[in-house]
Amino acid sequence: MEIIIVLGVIALVVLFFVAQYNRLIRLNISVDEAWAQIEVQLKRRADLIPNLVETVKGYAKHEQSTFDAVVTARAKATTASTVADTAAADGMLTQALRGLLAVAEAYPDLKASANFISLQEELATTENKVAFSRQFYNDNVRELNTAVKTVPTNFFAGFAKVTEREFYEVEDPQDRKAPSVKF
Amino acid sequence: MGVLVWLVALAALTYFGQSTTAIVPLAVGIALVSVWGSYYGSDKLVLTMTGAKLIQESDNPKLFGLIQEITIASGLPMPKVAIVIDSAPNAFATGRNQDHALIAFTTGILDVMDRDQLQGVIAHELAHVANRDTLVSAVAATTAGAIAILSDMLMRMMWFGGGRDRDRNSNGNPLLLVFSLLILILAPIAAVLLKSAISRKRESLADATAVAFTRNPAGLRSALEVLERDSTVVHQKSNSIAHIWIESPLDAKAVSKMFSTHPPIAERIAVLKAMESLN
Repeated sequence: MEIIIVLGVIALVVLFFVAQYNRLIRLNISVDEAWAQIEVQLKRRADLIPNLVETVKGYAKHEQSTFDAVVTARAKATTASTVADTAAADGMLTQALRGLLAVAEAYPDLKASANFISLQEELATTENKVAFSRQFYNDNVRELNTAVKTVPTNFFAGFAKVTEREFYEVEDPQDRKAPSVKF
Repeated sequence: MGVLVWLVALAALTYFGQSTTAIVPLAVGIALVSVWGSYYGSDKLVLTMTGAKLIQESDNPKLFGLIQEITIASGLPMPKVAIVIDSAPNAFATGRNQDHALIAFTTGILDVMDRDQLQGVIAHELAHVANRDTLVSAVAATTAGAIAILSDMLMRMMWFGGGRDRDRNSNGNPLLLVFSLLILILAPIAAVLLKSAISRKRESLADATAVAFTRNPAGLRSALEVLERDSTVVHQKSNSIAHIWIESPLDAKAVSKMFSTHPPIAERIAVLKAMESLN
């Protein structure tokens, strides 16, 4: 009788260990997947840019500095590899693209061209996809980091070789600006 | 719902005696089989019931782009997409699980809504998929259906041939008999009320989940405002799937608030406005 109870308790403990271990591994894999999604979307956006720049150039030849900013930002974004670098390059490129679209505002012919309109729509959806994949990644990182730091999963983190992951934080100067309050 | 089934079963037992015990599993069985069919094949069934047509990415790249945005935000797989040719703005989601999900839009909603509004609507529909609301409403429909069938059968028995059992039990408490008769009459109504209440709760939950996906309550709020202003109603062949649309296709004045499958749209807007002020 005693032996059955002892075996039962051991089985329960083993099951508990397995569940904690698997939870950490699963969370870690979802962070990897979410990161892959960010890279896919950033790549898509990078692929759109040459086309967009060419289209705008066709109508607005004298905005070389804006084009240069976009092209350098794109080059940086495609070579970045760590989370922090990618996030910084991503923020810069978003800024540069905003500048490019602001330039386009001054050229009514450009704004009316069918090519530009479809590119603009594609850029809008890609920007949203980049933003949502960032959000999804950060949600997953938050869940993983909480698991790595809290009882009972924190006891298994070393064994499962799962550590805290880095958040994807975009430097956006426009977000940083505190709203000015006037009385 | 479970409590209601038991109440009806108990009422039946006190009223008719032991011979009715077999009816309870029978009624539950009939309801289960019919609802299981509609749950399992919900995507295909709803397509025929609403006259929706499946479309491919090349048919409407902008809509597919918007849906992909939400699948990325929610981590859900890409659903099938369908269009209903109807000028009334509306949309719905169905399918037994994430991998068999289907979301459909009327041509009206695609015409009147801008990017942010459509994004809110899509997030609401995919929230139904994420919350497994087809399963929830199937369970609710099964129990409500079982109760209706059960009460119906027992009522018929009462008129034709239930007499013998009653004569044997005639020394039972008359007050208890009246009470069980009341339960038999009121239970189906209560079941429908409960089903509608569950549907309303799931609608509110889907609104909240949608905001968790987009982090933008303003999009869904202005979409609901568009739906509120619009008085046209989707022409559909059946009222039985009223609960799946984002805005109830039934005329709001004809059904009382208690029986409605959707919370009042003004209430949903108010909740989303409260969320906006939190940001």
